[in-house]
Amino acid sequence: MTELEKIKYKPIPVREALTKMKDLSELMIDLAYSAALFNSHELADEVLELEEEVDTLAYLLDMNAMIAARDARDAEDLVGISVVAAATNKISDAAADIAILVRREIGIHPIVREAFKEMEEQITRVEVKPTSTLVDKSLGELELAARIGVDIIALHRKKEWIINPSEDQKIVEGDILIARGAPLGIEKLTGCANGTIKELEKLE
Amino acid sequence: MRKLVSLKDTSELMMDLAYSSLLLNSRELAKEVQILEERMDNLHTEFEFLVLSSGFTPEESKDFLGLIRLGVVTEKIADAAMEIADVVLRGLEPHPVLRLVIKEAEETVTRARISDKSPLVGKTLKDAQIPEETGMWVLAIRRGKECLRPRPETVIRAGDVLIASGYAEGEEDLKRLASGIPKQS
Repeated sequence: MTELEKIKYKPIPVREALTKMKDLSELMIDLAYSAALFNSHELADEVLELEEEVDTLAYLLDMNAMIAARDARDAEDLVGISVVAAATNKISDAAADIAILVRREIGIHPIVREAFKEMEEQITRVEVKPTSTLVDKSLGELELAARIGVDIIALHRKKEWIINPSEDQKIVEGDILIARGAPLGIEKLTGCANGTIKELEKLE
Repeated sequence: MRKLVSLKDTSELMMDLAYSSLLLNSRELAKEVQILEERMDNLHTEFEFLVLSSGFTPEESKDFLGLIRLGVVTEKIADAAMEIADVVLRGLEPHPVLRLVIKEAEETVTRARISDKSPLVGKTLKDAQIPEETGMWVLAIRRGKECLRPRPETVIRAGDVLIASGYAEGEEDLKRLASGIPKQS
């Protein structure tokens, strides 16, 4: 069990903090489902680390909101922010719950894996083969989200996990991509990764 | 297992709709969240009964516990979405910061009006393949005074306003599709 550190007040830009909380909580849900789907303890650990980050942000945000309110009007205006922060925190907690299920090997019934295939948004795991057109391209260049509606939420290279990779992140042969998106897009990504789809232009 | 899929999809739809209701300060969308919340409660209870009555051996109980817990997680997400929608329903004017936060987040919510020049006119949502083309998911369709729930068979009409959520990069693509103005390469 990790030692909880005292969280000291420090001024933070509310907008940035809240945006980060939203992004993180949404990412965490996908990562957590991925961890369950692929039974990955490592992904589960990543989720739990992110949860601590979101918790800290929530505390800081609340403190900042309290200091910023000077009268009743301010209080009315700012309470919405506190509520949204609390809600995103709840979402991140929910993701952590899934991660804990994986960690404790409480097990997800195999039927769930089947169920995942029927979800509107699918999560998949693909290995980038040497013949893949994705090799040596950066995520920014590939524009997967805009082109095929797929988002790479994590990248596994050798022993390391890169969570929520940035645009500059280059793909290397052997990388394992965890992606989420519309079923057709996922199919295209899989084809690209294993080399059966040869031209990126074919993606559009 | 269909129930679990519904639970997950509904909880995530609620989240997206809740953020969109905040961004667009729309009571209508917030009410949709409320309606979905009731649906979630029923679905969840049904799901739990189903799991408990499936009859399992002691060895299998771990797996089934996992299922129950997953159901609880989707309920938690739905509750959080309801809290967000509540801000709008209670008539609290969403702080401008909240709008900016939602717009600037990696996943955003947007509105796109279908012009009569749009290639989407006359297509069903299924055929339009909006998620594949733009990375955005249609949450609701505003047609005149009504707020429609998107179904695969729903035919898109000129004048419809699509409320969609997804990757911010996809927003431009959606707007372009909706307006029918071709890309200036």
